[in-house]
Amino acid sequence: MTNIEELLGDLNVTPPVDLERSTLVSAGAADQVATTDSAFGPLWISWSPIGVTGVSPLFACPTVDEFMEVHRRNVYTASRLPADLTDQIDAALEFGTTSEFPVDLRGITEFQGSVLEACRRIESGSVRSYGWIADELKNPGAVRAVGTALGHNPIPLLIPCHRVVRSDGSIGSYAFGSDMKHDLLLSEGAILA
Amino acid sequence: MTIPPTADVRTTLVSDLDKGFTVLVRAYQPGIYSGALRLTHSREDAQEVAQDTFLRAYTALGKYNDDRILKLKVRPWLWTIAVNLCRTRAKRARPTNPLPPEETLGADDDDHFDDTDWNRRLEALSQTQRRAVVLRHVADLPVNEIAEVTGRPVGTVKADISRGLARLRTIMEAEEPK
Repeated sequence: MTNIEELLGDLNVTPPVDLERSTLVSAGAADQVATTDSAFGPLWISWSPIGVTGVSPLFACPTVDEFMEVHRRNVYTASRLPADLTDQIDAALEFGTTSEFPVDLRGITEFQGSVLEACRRIESGSVRSYGWIADELKNPGAVRAVGTALGHNPIPLLIPCHRVVRSDGSIGSYAFGSDMKHDLLLSEGAILA
Repeated sequence: MTIPPTADVRTTLVSDLDKGFTVLVRAYQPGIYSGALRLTHSREDAQEVAQDTFLRAYTALGKYNDDRILKLKVRPWLWTIAVNLCRTRAKRARPTNPLPPEETLGADDDDHFDDTDWNRRLEALSQTQRRAVVLRHVADLPVNEIAEVTGRPVGTVKADISRGLARLRTIMEAEEPK
């Protein structure tokens, strides 16, 4: 007679391959990521059930592992973005309507979230200074902290930190280089000093 | 996956909920799926139980403070949720997508087991025996954790397991060719 305990142990089977993924994604503990085209080449865009969680040009993060490393989030690759997000993101990239799509900014500090929300209100074709954002937050002494918060923007391009320049009108730094910031602002019709 | 020490899982959950939750799902979801499959006899229900258990756990963990998480008995806590979900499904109508016969099983299934036979054998046990046997020998829970999950004394759980196995042995001996 075969050992019944062993036979019962054999009933411990591997779950369907997508169960772990669907559980982590449904909970919001992991994001999905897909690529989309833009005027600046293909972009990684990650999202949760709440909204967009991360953006990076492929030239900055050539692999999904590098994207995960930068964004410090577990992601699963999807074949494409959800249709509703695609429309909103296409509009944001083409017309600069960056305040009109859902974002998921969990994991960042309240201050950084406030800085990014203020940044989203800067319209395409306009630029504002770091000091302007500090004033918007009623914290005029926080100019340097605003710069740091923008430097860690997890959703560049879509949260338009490129529209924030130095108070003397010079272009300032950018995660993907000053040249790209310059080109982005020109493509939006901003008048630069 | 090798199950990491519970203390490590709890510490990871406190330091980074999403990372800890990922560890939790990878460590415990396969066991919960396997156990739920034998308690519900339905792949669809087992998947729902295995997913809903963790979605409820994630929501709860988001509300617990660090101290509560650090004292959590992770596996029996998850199994308590899972067993309740299995019980809820058992009260519903028979599953619409029961386990298919052996010849239609997918590539991830073990060639050596026959679902129809095991469903029939396990159905012959009382509900408490079936639950105790499945938790002990399919999901590999120790007896003291089964006692926590089921709310029954350790001695009673041991008796449930022993009687359940004896019944299965009798059934399988009767199946053997004379």
